[in-house]
Amino acid sequence: MSRPAPVRSAPVRIRIGPDWQRRIAFLAAAGAIAVLPLIATDAYWRTNLIVCALNAMLALGLDFVLGYAGQLNLGQSAFYGLGAYASTLLITKAGIPFWIAFAGAVAFSGFAGVVLSLFAIRLRGHYLAIASLGFAVITYQILLNWISLTQGPLGIYAIAPPPPIALPGLPVINFDNLANLFYLVAGFAFLSYLLLDRLIRSPIGETLTAIREDEVSAASLGINCGAWKVFAFGVSSTVAGAAGCFYASFVGTLVPDAFFVTESFTILAMVVVGGMGTLIGPVGGAILLTVLPELLRNIGDLRLVVYGVAVTLVVLFVPGGIVEAVRLASARLPRIARRGKA
Amino acid sequence: MMTTARSADARPVAPGADALLRVQGLHKSFGGVHAVRDISLAIPERAIFAVIGPNGAGKSTLLNLLSGIYRPDAGAIVLQGIDVTGLPAHRRVRRGIARTFQKIRLFRRLSAVENVVAGFHVHHDIPPWQYVIHARAFRRDHERCRDEAARLLAFVGLAHRAHVPAGSLSYGEQRMLEIARALATAPRLLMVDEPAAGLNAAEVETLLDRLQALRRSGITLCIVEHNMDLVMKIADWVFVIDYGQFLFEGAPADVQTHAGVIDAYLGGKPQ
Repeated sequence: MSRPAPVRSAPVRIRIGPDWQRRIAFLAAAGAIAVLPLIATDAYWRTNLIVCALNAMLALGLDFVLGYAGQLNLGQSAFYGLGAYASTLLITKAGIPFWIAFAGAVAFSGFAGVVLSLFAIRLRGHYLAIASLGFAVITYQILLNWISLTQGPLGIYAIAPPPPIALPGLPVINFDNLANLFYLVAGFAFLSYLLLDRLIRSPIGETLTAIREDEVSAASLGINCGAWKVFAFGVSSTVAGAAGCFYASFVGTLVPDAFFVTESFTILAMVVVGGMGTLIGPVGGAILLTVLPELLRNIGDLRLVVYGVAVTLVVLFVPGGIVEAVRLASARLPRIARRGKA
Repeated sequence: MMTTARSADARPVAPGADALLRVQGLHKSFGGVHAVRDISLAIPERAIFAVIGPNGAGKSTLLNLLSGIYRPDAGAIVLQGIDVTGLPAHRRVRRGIARTFQKIRLFRRLSAVENVVAGFHVHHDIPPWQYVIHARAFRRDHERCRDEAARLLAFVGLAHRAHVPAGSLSYGEQRMLEIARALATAPRLLMVDEPAAGLNAAEVETLLDRLQALRRSGITLCIVEHNMDLVMKIADWVFVIDYGQFLFEGAPADVQTHAGVIDAYLGGKPQ
């Protein structure tokens, strides 16, 4: 990159926010994961914690393709389902050990994402949304009707939890224990976060946001928009597939209804409420939209109304989601506090 | 239409230079409208080559054909002896063609420096695994991009605006930022589409000065303009089109006295 005209160098930082702050945040998150099952000791809340971790993975995956690459993908429920069914069938029908089946199923849903995107990269905005929604519907119908393979609406029962891990010098870790299972799923959610965070903070981050902002402009900078969209879809569906594998071994039962297209919209709501185009936002959104309906359980079906109203209010008034709300609040609160003192 | 068809050999070539980019018989029509008709031209190396013409003459279409946003219906585009006619826009960037847009197309929500960094896309030198584990090569690349971006922003006078979202910059600043972003791709040929549109007199002066600095550094420039004064000041060679067709080409002084050009600009009858 030899460049013309000698010019003065100015102190410019590409990234804002020192690294040590982020390291502390990561340590705090790891600490929170370690402590949570100790606070939530009953099976009900531990189950909710695991669902939070699963949803966080799904939302993170969707955010990579939606919030960064700007592609409205409503097929996330399908990749979730493909991961769940592929791993379960590999284990129950082919007798493959869990972790190998896990790797296979993750690769399979990633591959499905790449295949979908090869067709979808020609489409934009609403058209892409409709095409990916169609993919989710087709996948659901296949899971429902290919009875010889998936047992259709009857479902697959008695799926074993991940096999115990025996590390030398430590007691055997059993995953029929909800706390351990939470550590496993949350650990993978954390890993997904780290992986996506690394990718976003590499030049790939600028490449994907450039595509999101203006494809013609991105192409004028040498960016192959199609290839990078395929990449984003692949990463996104891989993460969703991993979540699916854990879902199957956590719930122990697989029915196609768990992967109906409405699941895609639930994941979309988590990303939007949390804050698109940030990584922490979708995690927050996933936790909030998983826990909120549980907290509202005692008001019966009215909780769905509250849920719907809450999502609508966020979209209308804080389109940047929780992340933007926090940013606005932290910018305003000190000023209000000062005014209060004066 | 055939009145303007000429062979490349018979055409006058700008003095003392080899062609960086050669275009032969380029055609493009949209529906029934012939936006570009049988255009042949040669852009000499290290020159400032201006394409002028009245509004709607097909200048921007020509630029879109050269940069690969449109595919020509007929004709060939050859960069340094290599036929790039079939290459999509992003592949042409790797061969050294960069451009700016008449209607500014910055990444409005990204900061100025992030816009420039996006322009380094084809020049990153990082082994794939280091995208996940940021080790030495990644950090070296990161530092190099940071320094280069700072240098480019300073070059266009935006060092102090590095962290401002591109959409919040003034119009003139946005035009300069687009040039900096295009320069980040390290082009041999930089094509600027109406760079002076919407700029005030002082900004135009700065722009001219920067463009001349780029030419001195070895970059070939192709400027699409309809502002004649600006073209006369800076261009080595002027190529005039009207109604999508070749009208005239020559040194700036010759263009000003050519009857057909004057007609086209003052609203005379097309040839």
